[in-house]
Amino acid sequence: MFRFSIIALLSLGLPSSARPVVAEESDSTTTISYQREIRPILARHCFACHGPDDDARQADLRLDRRDAAIAAGAIDPNDFAASELLKRISTSDPDERMPPADSGRSLSVRQQDALAKWIGSGAKYERHWAFERPRSPPVPAFTGSWARTPIDAFVLARMQAAGFSPNAEANRFTLVRRLYLDLIGLVPSQEEVDAFIRDESGNAYEKLVSRLLASPHYGERWARVWLDLARYSDTNGYEKDRPRSIWPYRDWVIQALNEEMPFNQFTIEQIAGDMLTNATAAQRTATGFHRNTMLNEEGGIDPLEYRFYAMVDRVATTGTVWLGLSVGCAQCHSHKYDPISHSDYYRMLALLNNADEPELELNSLPRSETIRIEAKIDQLESDLPHQFPVEVGADEETSNQVFQEAFDRWCDEQQPLLAPWTVAHPTKYTTNLPHLERLNDDSLFASGDFTKRDEYHISLELPANQRITAIRLEALPDSRLPARGPGRAYYEGRKGDFFLSEIDVKANGHPLKFASGSRSYGKIAVGSGNAEAVNVFDEDGSTGWSTAEREGERHTLILRLAQPITTRSFDVSMLFERHFVAGLGRFRFSVTDSEGDIRALPLEAEVENVLSRDRQTWDEHEREIAVLAFVRSAPELAEARRPIDALRRQLATRKTTMVMQERPAENPRTTFRHHRGEWLSPREKVSAGLPSLFDEPSAAGLTNRLEFANWLVSDANPLAARVVVNRAWRHLMGFGLVRSDGDFGTQSSLPTHPELLDWLASSFVREGWSLKRLHQMIVMSATYRQNSSPPAGQVNEDAANLYFSRGPRHRVDAETVRDVMLSASGLLSTTIGGPSVRPPQPASVTAIAYGSTTWKPSTGPDRYRRSLYTFSKRTAPFAAYTTFDGPSGENCIARRNRSNTPLQALTLLNDVMFLEFARSLGIRAMANAEGTLERIDWMFERLLVRPPTANERQRLLEYHDRQLQRLAARQLDATEIMSDQAARAEVAALVMVARVLMNLDEAITKY
Amino acid sequence: MTGTPNTSIARRHFFRDCGLGVGKIALGSLIARHAHAEPSDAFHFPAKAKRVIYLFMAGAPSQLELFDYKPKLVGLEGKPLPPSVIQGQRYAFIQPDAAVLGPRFKFKKCGESGNEISEMLPHFSTIVDDVALIRSVHTDKFNHAPAQLLVNTGNGIPGRPAMGAWLSYGLGNEADDLPSFVVLQSGGSLSGGAAMWSSGFLPSTHQGVPFRSGSEPILHAANPNGIDAVAQRETIDVIGDLNRMQLDWANDPEIRTRIAAYEMAYRMQARAPELMDFSQETEQTLGAYGATAGEKSFANNCLIARRLAERGVRFIQVYHAGWDHHSNVEGGVRDQCKKTDQACTALVKDLKQRGMLEDTIVIWGGEFGRTPMVEASVALGRTQGRDHHPQAFTMWMAGGGVKPGVQLGSTDELGFHVAESPVHIQDIQATILHCLGINHRRLSFNYRGLDIRLTGVEERRVVEEVL
Repeated sequence: MFRFSIIALLSLGLPSSARPVVAEESDSTTTISYQREIRPILARHCFACHGPDDDARQADLRLDRRDAAIAAGAIDPNDFAASELLKRISTSDPDERMPPADSGRSLSVRQQDALAKWIGSGAKYERHWAFERPRSPPVPAFTGSWARTPIDAFVLARMQAAGFSPNAEANRFTLVRRLYLDLIGLVPSQEEVDAFIRDESGNAYEKLVSRLLASPHYGERWARVWLDLARYSDTNGYEKDRPRSIWPYRDWVIQALNEEMPFNQFTIEQIAGDMLTNATAAQRTATGFHRNTMLNEEGGIDPLEYRFYAMVDRVATTGTVWLGLSVGCAQCHSHKYDPISHSDYYRMLALLNNADEPELELNSLPRSETIRIEAKIDQLESDLPHQFPVEVGADEETSNQVFQEAFDRWCDEQQPLLAPWTVAHPTKYTTNLPHLERLNDDSLFASGDFTKRDEYHISLELPANQRITAIRLEALPDSRLPARGPGRAYYEGRKGDFFLSEIDVKANGHPLKFASGSRSYGKIAVGSGNAEAVNVFDEDGSTGWSTAEREGERHTLILRLAQPITTRSFDVSMLFERHFVAGLGRFRFSVTDSEGDIRALPLEAEVENVLSRDRQTWDEHEREIAVLAFVRSAPELAEARRPIDALRRQLATRKTTMVMQERPAENPRTTFRHHRGEWLSPREKVSAGLPSLFDEPSAAGLTNRLEFANWLVSDANPLAARVVVNRAWRHLMGFGLVRSDGDFGTQSSLPTHPELLDWLASSFVREGWSLKRLHQMIVMSATYRQNSSPPAGQVNEDAANLYFSRGPRHRVDAETVRDVMLSASGLLSTTIGGPSVRPPQPASVTAIAYGSTTWKPSTGPDRYRRSLYTFSKRTAPFAAYTTFDGPSGENCIARRNRSNTPLQALTLLNDVMFLEFARSLGIRAMANAEGTLERIDWMFERLLVRPPTANERQRLLEYHDRQLQRLAARQLDATEIMSDQAARAEVAALVMVARVLMNLDEAITKY
Repeated sequence: MTGTPNTSIARRHFFRDCGLGVGKIALGSLIARHAHAEPSDAFHFPAKAKRVIYLFMAGAPSQLELFDYKPKLVGLEGKPLPPSVIQGQRYAFIQPDAAVLGPRFKFKKCGESGNEISEMLPHFSTIVDDVALIRSVHTDKFNHAPAQLLVNTGNGIPGRPAMGAWLSYGLGNEADDLPSFVVLQSGGSLSGGAAMWSSGFLPSTHQGVPFRSGSEPILHAANPNGIDAVAQRETIDVIGDLNRMQLDWANDPEIRTRIAAYEMAYRMQARAPELMDFSQETEQTLGAYGATAGEKSFANNCLIARRLAERGVRFIQVYHAGWDHHSNVEGGVRDQCKKTDQACTALVKDLKQRGMLEDTIVIWGGEFGRTPMVEASVALGRTQGRDHHPQAFTMWMAGGGVKPGVQLGSTDELGFHVAESPVHIQDIQATILHCLGINHRRLSFNYRGLDIRLTGVEERRVVEEVL
């Protein structure tokens, strides 16, 4: 098929990496390779209608399997002329001809010949290379002194076969810069450059490599690569795009890479860390990988629909990252080219589909600090009674008496409003969808999936038949709930919120009427309505009870019956209906027979119990409880409590990260095949499993995420190691060995160096899945060390560098553009990890986002943190990065574009952020060197890591002098350029030169 | 300028990466190359339109108050619709048994076509014979962000290229000093956000460039403080000289592209402020649009859209948000019509008068319609509103090959379902591409193994009835 896109890229263009690559010229003297020649033709022209997709198949003919093609008569390996396939591709009858004219595809004469030859020689099929396990091929023999490592032997063999020879080794300036950019993503300091240039030892290069691999910045540089795949972002995406806290996952990645965690372990922890025995907080944090999906918080969405889309994304991302396969294609229909059926897809989805998605609370303070603060609070609270305000000069006895009287008065006020309660034991509990679980205290805990309209039906039993005058509902906090509950709201509304619309109670088969209601606290999030208790029995679903802004606390609702009843059991139905999920997460029912005018008061359960009884009956412990409750709430002590409040706020600071949590065994999630991939079209149930493509003993019987994760990095998966080494090769060498590096399927481009790919993959596994080792192997090679430019005066025939006869050369990634300037300017803050920060950018960037979000630039060192730490907002990504093809976190990115545009020029020229770097570089040049030329040289070397040529120096000096002249003549204003009233013309002129250097193509190019 | 050993590669490289200055020849070269490569596979139609101005009414205007008069609803007011009509449709806020709300405004027949138009659109009423009105548009999504993304990118989830990006990719840029895809915005917040003008998996050069109000419409188009025009020119000159020295030995065509990019950047810096300067416009023109220099308004954006169109910008996306009338749909529609009716009309008239309507296609519409049922909620403090309604709504198109005065499609007497000539929102996309000479089935890009099209995998049709 000759598609529009291909045409467009020929003339308009695309990154050349997207072009089809012919890796191997056909050699007519040998037998035709199915792998190299035939499958690409069939895959491109025939499989869409005669391939693996049952639904799309025409004429009941499939050509992707030999037996089927022969049975159908399309191919006759014994009688070349009888093969229907050959007749149909060569006939001139337009009704007979294949591919049909209206398909827009046609076969060239050369392709027809190839098919004929292939059938003539027996029509041998081969399994797609990427589905066979990599074998470690022998390292080719080589002569000459060029090759340093086995990599070079493979590369050289291929290069020589094609008639090319290696380029010279790059000079030391180039090598030190290249290694810094590749291994740690920064440029070296003056001292670091000098040390390497002067190091005459034979292993100077090797030492440098080892030092960089050990640098903590290594983890930062390579984490960015991984975060592209993980679609990391600091916001939820979609309309509201609110901030989320998942940076601990980002820090986990950095740390894992720095600590050389083997890639198989790295994989298992990210896919299923929560399922490991005694999973640590770090292992659970790692599961944030698949929590990086977007979360739609728009009012009125169907939350399950968007969870489904997140699952779809998880399957596609897993496919890209560990299989190098576009499994996402099979969401809607069986894969057209690769042997992944529609059901296979949902079987894979089922492997990942049995998790809940909570937030994990991490220690925001060191344990010792928490203990210290708690002790301090205890101490301060025990002193509160002594601070009760009394008249000046009152003696201790009087003071005690004043306090005692106030306390007694308070107790006496509370008591008639309170009553003893009998907890009701839930015997049966059902819902429309959420899962209810009874806890030891007879409360119910809700988990699983929720909708915008959830109903809980609960049957309750009392210890004995009793008279009931009122029913109490306790909404209880729980650390497993969003914001500790008591509600299940996790988007749009406040986290931990709930909205009880209606409550119906039946006893002895009759509905009970309520006379009145009271609640300890009520407030509605998102909306203007009130949250009174009566709302829950007014038969209006749009009114209700809610406790917004007091999350993580216990709240109570008391409903007084119009007519007391006597019963041992009763049934409660609760409706939670809002434009977002608003079910209760943990709650409990109790009853009382009190005739008093009881109220729901904002007291702890324990306190309520004590205060409901006559204080004469209290023991010492109960009295302490009551006193503590009093001093914590007495308005007279508000001032005295201030330091305690401050300490409590410190303790309440939460540090959370988003994780996966395998569901309890009693609440498994069912997965269905979805017709055409549509959420609203679930069909038959599917069980978890791998695509039949991987149908071998080791793959049989996979049932859950952990087993899946283990399989992904086992020998049985032919793809993971290949995909990983290919990715590393591309980052270091500019292009992958498989150039279609997100896709290793039958539609992919064949590897340019298949043996090298397999050798690297095998070595990687053999060396313990060490990414550092892998990176080291590649950068130590002579292939990597080559000069990236062709020798002067020579035209490089290997323009696409298919044979790696040159070193790598390409623009650095968006974040590295900034990091290069940042490190050269001397402003870089080297702090690792922590919440994301906001370097300066124009307010208009985020003002355009929903809700006109403000972007308050960080101050101090946070303004100059590595770009990896820049707050990543999906709907308004940091503008300077977007302009340089930085990701938005919406998709798993296996390969970024490398565009080259006028907006990039405007950014580097005019963005104040970059001007700040230029100022710093100019000021440092002033201080670090004497004389204009020396200062220009100094800046040049900082940024470009080489001395300027005479011509370059001359041209820069000319520019400098001209600007200095205009500054002196007041045609330019140094104070404006420097944003400093005291700025001098000399510095401003240097800053203008720095700005020029930062705008050179070379400054943002790795070569 | 140093010569390069491989001119054709360098040239291709230049076109590949520089978003600007390509278009004038791009389409021609596409056809030529195509004809050469695959003669039987002609995918182009003769292009009637050269550019698009898309007036996107974000939030979803009520078709029942503007274009689709349903007197039957008056009698049903206060009663629920039968479940057989609702058919299990999910709603964002209301329950399916919500009562009917009758139309809030009077309608009258307008123009020779006798189109029934709301009294809220006195200006639009005067151009009904210039536009094609489609009352039978429907969509798949019932929440704002997904529905807006679907209209703009062909998919309800962020991450795909916008229509403007597809066109920039497919047709290139006509302007050599402005981006090919420009985004203007007024009113409230946009639910779909920046994902609506994303280049998705296409190179970022095709991304929509939001024009901000004020003197710096393009981010970083103004020199930094203290750098005057002379210094900027001299800076770009020295950058160019040093880049050429580098090109001499590195021989990387990327460097040539970058040199050109800096020259284009310089031209954009000059062009952008000029574009926002209304002093060249007559009082009469300003009055017709209701535009006031320096304001951030829909009226100003309509005028800027015309000025961008004159300067060769391929796709001008004008967003106006403020149509999400969950409460008081009557007051809301009245208010938004005051802000938009005059300027929309002025734009069509202005383009027509300048002879530009022939090759400029103008589209007006939201992401879905609004329910015949009322929305009311105590918790949210809402009364007399309408909820989201994907089953049926109205859009209009004009110019660029669209047949004027056409009325297409209708809804049932409740305004709930399309009764005749259903037009899916992606059929509109197919039609826009068609007007620009592109077969929507052939404009594709291989991403993650799928040949992805703007119009998606479902079969979509060009709405021939309006052409």
